Amino acid sequence: MNILEANHISKSYAEHRALNDVSISIPKQSIFGLLGPNGAGKTTLIRIINQIIMADEGEVLINGEKLHPRHVEIIGYLPEERGLYKKMKVGEQLMYLAQLKGMSKSEAKAKIKKWLEKLNLTEWAGQKVEDLSKGMAQKIQFIATVIHEPQLLILDEPFSGFDPVNANLIKDEILELREKGATVIFSTHRMESVEQLCEHIAMIHKSEKILDGTKKEIKNSFRSDKYKVEYKGDFSGLGAEYELLDTKHLEDGFYEAVIQSKNGHNPNHLLSQLIAKTEVHSFVEVIPSVNDIFISIVEGGNKK
Amino acid sequence: MKQIFLVLKREYSTRVKKKSFLLATILIPLIFPAVIFGIVYFATSDSDSSSKEVYVLDESGYFQDSFSNTGYTYTYLSGNLDEAKEKLQENNVYGLIHIPEIDLDDASKTRYSDFSFYSETNPGNQAMKGFESEIKRELEAVKLDRSGLDPAVINSLKVNVNLNSFNLTESGEAKESNTDLSSAVGYVFGFLIYMFIFIYGSQIMQSVLDEKTSRIVEVIVSSVRPFQLMMGKVLGVGAVGVTQLLIWIVLMVTLFSVGISALGGGMEAMAGQMPADVDMTQNQEMAANIQGMLNTIPVAQIVVSFLFYFLGAYFLYGALYAAIGSAVDSIQDAQQFMLPIMLPIIAGIVSLTFVLQDPHSTMAVTLSMIPFTSPIVMMARLPFGVPTWQLLLSMALLVLGFIATIWIAGRIYRVGILMYGAKVNWKTIAKWFTMKV
Repeated sequence: MNILEANHISKSYAEHRALNDVSISIPKQSIFGLLGPNGAGKTTLIRIINQIIMADEGEVLINGEKLHPRHVEIIGYLPEERGLYKKMKVGEQLMYLAQLKGMSKSEAKAKIKKWLEKLNLTEWAGQKVEDLSKGMAQKIQFIATVIHEPQLLILDEPFSGFDPVNANLIKDEILELREKGATVIFSTHRMESVEQLCEHIAMIHKSEKILDGTKKEIKNSFRSDKYKVEYKGDFSGLGAEYELLDTKHLEDGFYEAVIQSKNGHNPNHLLSQLIAKTEVHSFVEVIPSVNDIFISIVEGGNKK
Repeated sequence: MKQIFLVLKREYSTRVKKKSFLLATILIPLIFPAVIFGIVYFATSDSDSSSKEVYVLDESGYFQDSFSNTGYTYTYLSGNLDEAKEKLQENNVYGLIHIPEIDLDDASKTRYSDFSFYSETNPGNQAMKGFESEIKRELEAVKLDRSGLDPAVINSLKVNVNLNSFNLTESGEAKESNTDLSSAVGYVFGFLIYMFIFIYGSQIMQSVLDEKTSRIVEVIVSSVRPFQLMMGKVLGVGAVGVTQLLIWIVLMVTLFSVGISALGGGMEAMAGQMPADVDMTQNQEMAANIQGMLNTIPVAQIVVSFLFYFLGAYFLYGALYAAIGSAVDSIQDAQQFMLPIMLPIIAGIVSLTFVLQDPHSTMAVTLSMIPFTSPIVMMARLPFGVPTWQLLLSMALLVLGFIATIWIAGRIYRVGILMYGAKVNWKTIAKWFTMKV
């Protein structure tokens, strides 16, 4: 069951097309990475899901239903550009934002108390936001995003502005929310967090979706039959089926090389050839990181 | 609706809790009467306490001990003018009145412009008028005496005319009207609406701008439709304004009744020194006059219409102010858009001078129909009596007007609040208006 399905979404502004026939589906309780360089159209798509703007074409389904105003109550949105009412007290502010999401006063009050305790902010409840440090304000903003226990969390660069300790804290909270049933959409440039957290990835580039699938599938599809080998003793003559791409001389007669397999033999075939010629110390297939994939796509040179 | 109410509640409670609101709400009704009473107090106490010395050099011989204007003590000099001037400077007295020789029997030789007043400081207008009228009265009395006419005959010849104006109502009934009072009432109500639009309109704009620059707006519009947010804001700020207005009215009425009863006490004390019957008739006459003047104005109609136009004008302009706030990134950028919106308001208030001169002229009627000026101009016309159909048409047009501006503003607002760093001019705003969101 998909919590969200966006089908053939297109959106144009006066002079340019922000999204062109983009479709994504996000399975329930997954962590979904929405990637893409600046200006690719990610924010436009997120705003459409949040009903801030409307798509020119296509439809968005939440739990199989067409997007409806009541759906804002089951979505929590953390925009990239953070902002709170500076002159408003933390507690009042959270109360206001929670009520806007449809919570009752008593319900919101209990949740605010719980979250402030959880993130060690209880003593700040009566302070104005302008008196808080940036990190604390970010935590308040995170609480405001999740206070109504949304089924779908949309987090745009959630870790920016956090020190490593707090970033970890927030990451754990996100994972905990997922355990409890929430689905998370991550929009980010920080590939290490994608690598770590996301199960599904979609990538938008120049207003189009160019990549979609589970992290594993995508990585597999970017496998290029390259192997990294560490060996002792130089050798030559692997034959036409293999190409030596890069050789590095390490110390004590050790070498490291990247070998491209050209006709899709299994690794054992290469290994057996190597063993005949040299002393193999390590042998591993080169699997691209999400970061590599991202860069290779954005730079246009799809190395596949 | 629930969302609009939440936004409204926040706008209202954050504003009402501010110290500046409390100060303005309590101080302004205190300051106005305080200033008025203060001026009255100083004006009366000044002339009472220090009685200034004035020299009189009378070469005509008609003014022996005849000056009696209070606030001054008069010393009558003899000798010539130069000596008198010297003496004036030596003794540092307030002034010198010089009355040259005059021949009352020969009109050709008499030059009434030869009277002079010398002083080191510039005398006030009131002082000069006082001296002039005393000289005039004295000379008239002398001339009357010489003419041999009976003063009683002269008095009986004097007539006092008061032109009373009446309005003919539609049923043909004559109603007394009072032009001065109507003008004053009209101007005050027109001006109140004008002030309210300015003060609270810019508050809406500021509030929209704050949400935009603090970037909270994206979070808010993920829960609330932009139109609901805008309407909640306009209504919330408006509710603050109405609250303030009501508190002012209550405070003013209380203060004035306290002030008047204090004044009344003073009058009674004074009345004790005067013959009782004079005082009674005067007071009764005054009371009757005030009552009569109030009867000439359609009070109930004005109060109801005021509330209507007050709110109508506020919605009409408040929505436009919200649109401007959404379009710009800073208050400086807002200036260029403010002018075209302020122009009709200013035109309305400027036109009041002409409207009050002839409240039923074509211009006055036209301006009281156009929704942008009608709240100010119609309020000014109302005390003079306005045909019912005109009032109803004007109100209907105002309702259509504010529905239109709210609709237009809403379309600009929903795009503007999410636009940052864009160079905004009228063309971009027009584009936003037509844009599909």
